[in-house]
Amino acid sequence: MGRRATPAAAGVFILAAVLLAGCAAPQVSALVARPPADLPAAAEIASVPFYAQEDYQCGPASLAAVLQHAGGDATPASLVPQVYVPARKGSLQAEMLAATRRHGLVAYELAPRLEALLREIAAGTPVLVLQNLALDWAPQWHYAVAIGYDLPERSLVLRSGVTRRLAMSLDTFEHTWARSGHWAMLALPPERLPETAKELPYLAAVAALERVVPTAARRGYEAALARWPDSVTAELGRGNASYALRDLAGAAAAYLRATQRHPASADAWNNLAQALIELGSRDEALAAARRAVALGGARLGTYRETLDHILRQP
Amino acid sequence: MTGRIRRIVASFLILCLGAMSVPVPALAGIVGTDAVVAGVERERVAGLLDRSDVQARLQALGVDPALARARVAALTDEEAAQLAAQIDALPAGGVDALGVALIVFLVLLFTDIMGYTKIFPFTRSMR
Repeated sequence: MGRRATPAAAGVFILAAVLLAGCAAPQVSALVARPPADLPAAAEIASVPFYAQEDYQCGPASLAAVLQHAGGDATPASLVPQVYVPARKGSLQAEMLAATRRHGLVAYELAPRLEALLREIAAGTPVLVLQNLALDWAPQWHYAVAIGYDLPERSLVLRSGVTRRLAMSLDTFEHTWARSGHWAMLALPPERLPETAKELPYLAAVAALERVVPTAARRGYEAALARWPDSVTAELGRGNASYALRDLAGAAAAYLRATQRHPASADAWNNLAQALIELGSRDEALAAARRAVALGGARLGTYRETLDHILRQP
Repeated sequence: MTGRIRRIVASFLILCLGAMSVPVPALAGIVGTDAVVAGVERERVAGLLDRSDVQARLQALGVDPALARARVAALTDEEAAQLAAQIDALPAGGVDALGVALIVFLVLLFTDIMGYTKIFPFTRSMR
């Protein structure tokens, strides 16, 4: 803990504290006034690990806690080389998401609603949040992990900084959280969907994982298909993850299912054609590629390339 | 004579470097899931994106070159484009430990005084 806060910074803190602490926050007030019937009044995930942060290292410390809780192998020391930006004396949100993927976990950005945050905690998932502890014009960006809440008490429990169990007023939290644009993320094993998962954002999170750890992404698509059986994107994703792993037979089978369930999906026909030609089934590949081109759409150029490629094969 | 050999070797190396820098699509012919998820907008982003630029920005901010490469590889196209455009302005979470402790103390002190909380034995609520 080498550095001391300057008097100016201390002044900002005092001002911020005065401005932040007093007034009720809109989302909290709405939740307390009309609590959803299926949301427990209080919850806390005591098993979330705690790492006291070193200077400027709240990113690695908070991320290590949520990754470990999700079964990942990470410590603050192992994460510093993955997320810390020395000249910025901090960690960027995009890199917090990217480092989560590098551990084979789905990094899911939460909807910017307090209710979503509380629902995830109630479901047993700690939430990594970004707060601005000071003011818009003199920001003090801080990562912490929300692990518990108590609605009647209007309080939130965080693993934060050097405090293992920080109980903060929900209103104060909402003010500091709103200044980061209500940014929050989850780290989850691909088999486990977030409590508040929405189809497209979740599949986007799995697609981001696909480029880093395709085996994990394939499990994510399977979990997504169990939740949303009619999702053509999840079917396609399962095929694409298999294709990335050079499991061509698995990819072709997934694309075939996608074309059967969603015959109007040109992307599915195109990818089926590509997998089939690589498996040596030229006639079937040709038929599939022609279906894709006939259906057309925004990616017609890609479909035409696939068709031309197949036509050039002997 | 040596000059000529040198020229031939140099031309060969230039050709090799040129070949290396030609982008090779990893999944030829396949429509990627990220493209399907993000729609047409993303293809535009991907077309404009140069990941080596993001890597250079990270290195300029003190990240080890070998680490920067792996870090950039784990970003989505949108994230990489965002970092390329505004890495200096985006929030970087990292208050020093003393600062966090100080603000937490001050906030709790204030809420104690206002009577919302009761944490410190030495405060007397205004209520």
